Amino acid sequence: MRSLWAVAKNTIAQAVRMKVAVIFIILLLILLPVMSLAMPGDGTLKGRLQTFVSYGLGLTNLLLCLLTIIVSTYTLASDIKERQIYTILTKPIRRFQFLCGKLLGVVLLDMVLLAVFCGVIYGLTVSIPVMSGAGAEEIEGVNNEFFTARAALTPAVVDVSEEVREKYEKLRQLGQLPAQLSPTKVFAELTRQKKLEKRAAAPANELVWEFDNVRPFEPNDRIFVRFKYDVSVNPPDLNVYGRWLVGDYRQYQFGAAEMKTPIYVFDRKDLIRTFHEIVVHADAVASDGYLAVVFQNIPINDTVVIFPLEEGLEVLYKARSFTLNFILAALVIAARLIFLAAFGISVSTWLSFPVAILTCLVIYFTGSMSGFVFESLDFFTESWGRFFNYTLRPVVKLLPQFDQFNPTENMVYARMLSWSFLGYVFGVMVCIKAMILWVLGVVIFTYREVAKITV
Amino acid sequence: MVNRYSQSENPAQLSSPKPDSQYAVETFSLTKIFTDWWGRNKVVAVDNLDLKVRYNEVFGLLGPNGSGKTTTLKLLLSLLHPTKGKALVLGGDSREPKITARIGFLPEESYLYEYLSARETLDFYGRLFGLNAKLRKVRIEALLEMVGLQAMASRPVGTFSKGMARRIGLAQALINDPELLILDEPTAGLDPIGTKQIKDLIKQLAGRGKTVLLCSHLLADVEDICDRIAILYGGRLQSQGQVAALLQRTDKKQITTGDLSMDAIEKIKQIVQAESGQYEITSPMEKLETFFLRIVTEAEKEAQPTSGAVVSKGMGFLAAESAESVLDKLVAPEGVPKRSAEVSLQDALRRSPGAGPVRDGSQQVREIEPVQDEDVLRDLTEEHSVELSRSPAESIAKSTREENPSAVRDVEPEQVNKSILEELSSLEDIETSEPTENKDSDLPRRQEGAGGPDKPRTGEEQDA
Repeated sequence: MRSLWAVAKNTIAQAVRMKVAVIFIILLLILLPVMSLAMPGDGTLKGRLQTFVSYGLGLTNLLLCLLTIIVSTYTLASDIKERQIYTILTKPIRRFQFLCGKLLGVVLLDMVLLAVFCGVIYGLTVSIPVMSGAGAEEIEGVNNEFFTARAALTPAVVDVSEEVREKYEKLRQLGQLPAQLSPTKVFAELTRQKKLEKRAAAPANELVWEFDNVRPFEPNDRIFVRFKYDVSVNPPDLNVYGRWLVGDYRQYQFGAAEMKTPIYVFDRKDLIRTFHEIVVHADAVASDGYLAVVFQNIPINDTVVIFPLEEGLEVLYKARSFTLNFILAALVIAARLIFLAAFGISVSTWLSFPVAILTCLVIYFTGSMSGFVFESLDFFTESWGRFFNYTLRPVVKLLPQFDQFNPTENMVYARMLSWSFLGYVFGVMVCIKAMILWVLGVVIFTYREVAKITV
Repeated sequence: MVNRYSQSENPAQLSSPKPDSQYAVETFSLTKIFTDWWGRNKVVAVDNLDLKVRYNEVFGLLGPNGSGKTTTLKLLLSLLHPTKGKALVLGGDSREPKITARIGFLPEESYLYEYLSARETLDFYGRLFGLNAKLRKVRIEALLEMVGLQAMASRPVGTFSKGMARRIGLAQALINDPELLILDEPTAGLDPIGTKQIKDLIKQLAGRGKTVLLCSHLLADVEDICDRIAILYGGRLQSQGQVAALLQRTDKKQITTGDLSMDAIEKIKQIVQAESGQYEITSPMEKLETFFLRIVTEAEKEAQPTSGAVVSKGMGFLAAESAESVLDKLVAPEGVPKRSAEVSLQDALRRSPGAGPVRDGSQQVREIEPVQDEDVLRDLTEEHSVELSRSPAESIAKSTREENPSAVRDVEPEQVNKSILEELSSLEDIETSEPTENKDSDLPRRQEGAGGPDKPRTGEEQDA
């Protein structure tokens, strides 16, 4: 254990005295305060806060990821190249212990730096409203919409598979199946259409969404209904008129004698294809956590109003403090750094420094757009079928999904990061993906010859 | 020099706990073949090597560049995997921490972390051995003192010269007080003082029951310190055995004495003439190494400043009487004669017979007489060496006698008997030995280093 710790300590010393870490630290310590002062955003206090947190966390994340890649690939590759490894592996330390020591060193360095920079960002973020001299109203606004951690409830996904199958059969019997599309694609398209149907309201019709387990942080908080309209025919002024009802809708349906909780009604006129928020007092939630949101398509619209599948409608409410949410966001970044550290050391067990760092950078950037990569690789599923499924696919699955696990957006839109999400991130990225790559590296390192071949 | 470590050659005499195996290092048909990526272009670096290094001996692996010495060491330490055969180190696998904890290794170059200071470097290696803080501190200071780098212990080793880095490398190899020391070119890049120190150190360690396996192509170094050597060429074992046995020339005898009067020389001449005939009397040449060391040591005594490495004052923890030291358990018990090698460098030099006259001279500017001037050289030294040979070389002897009266050579064959030794034993500071073949040159060499000044050897000791 003492030897493992010695290796970890030495790795940190190496990174620090290599000056790379120092440059990153100085860069961040200069850039962050400058950014907090210089970034105006859209001019509002909220916009400024959002811009700062977005760029601050984004920059910290990027620089720390790069630092981790550099340090983790350099530390082992240089030990092998400069041959310090000769004097280390001939000491009573097992090879996996040596690697673990390296990983521990890189991770510790990362955690310290992450803590420092997140602390700086947090401190600056909190002090921006104070320094800006904004009015009480604006501060109240950012407290509700920025310095908070809102849980987002989305409508439950309706199972449409049965309807899709019926429709498909019907089309097949009628011989109307499009010949150029494969059955899979027809199914996918039909499913999408059916799902949209469930989220569309013809004129004079209404849509009802019901949510359970709405638990506001404080009873006096507000609830936000965030929505975006899409339409079948563009209205002349691109606006949709709608009546919204938020509250315990059961009271209407079952004709309650007395209203226990209020139902708020809003008549609104909103621009299509942009986000809007309806603010409701939290007392609209029934005591059992039930809340309904109703949209009524007013006949003057003369168009079908559709709520897009992605982010068409959400119910937001404060569920946690900003601070805790910020810490969770930092932990998501930490998971990312741990993955990169393990990966960097793992590949440098058998690759030289330039190759290893290039590999890591490629993986980092593809991981940052993994959605796109996975989508384009799905092409192989169709053309190569089983071959792809059993060879390339498992390898591609090891790719980290940095873009899926991005905490910056949560901070900007004050979304709550759930513990289960954090658990998922750590479980998938650290415990499974990083672990598999790490074990691979350890096995390679245990059996490889570390000495250079000289005759 | 001959049979210097006669004690060490018998492991049964050791007081240390019985080792797991008879040999400290043992290889069985060890073979290493390097191939390219496709498995072609084979280079046989080590070829069916059966090496056996006994406990408590200094074993030298010799060979020209590229003969497989370093590869062999790397195979022993599991830095490379053998293509065929296997190697046992201290009776086990050198990947086992239990085994590596008892090994000290100095690679062919001191591969150090440039950003660590000398002290931090040693601390790092100490931690790798799991030594506690207290023990680390004691040993680090002792080792820094020993390798003469105490004054620059806080400087990053990246700024060290090659020789200084070598010293840290050696200190690193000793931090765990190892039983087996594996040294790859230990004197590479070192100045003559450093070379001498390391050689002395190796002798001292051997005296304390350590096993030393070293490889080198510097024959003089190996000759001075090794009990047994193996010569590799092309990865194959060409020759192995005791240094003394390999180098001893049984056809010649060399007698080294203090300064002799012409009278005494004449007497000896007559005895030898009566015995066998051919002989030669010369003043022994000092080795350049010895001379250089003396000059530097004197400069150091005058406390002239240097930013480089300095001669150490002692052995530190390796010589100290510490109860927990494994080393002390291995120290020969009472009754076993102390090794003459345990004389410190200063002692050895102070007692060096040649040191006197030069010290008496001017301290500021030393005028060194040219070596060609045999008369002056004879005045400077107090010794004469008498070389007796049974093989005739008449023409050379005659011309030598004419040119130089102090070198006398006669060719009349006569018998040598015990009476010569009896005659000579009345003279002070007598030393007799079989002349050894000096690999570097054919000059007659004065007996120095471990043997000579501290413990003059007699013929009886020789024979035993």
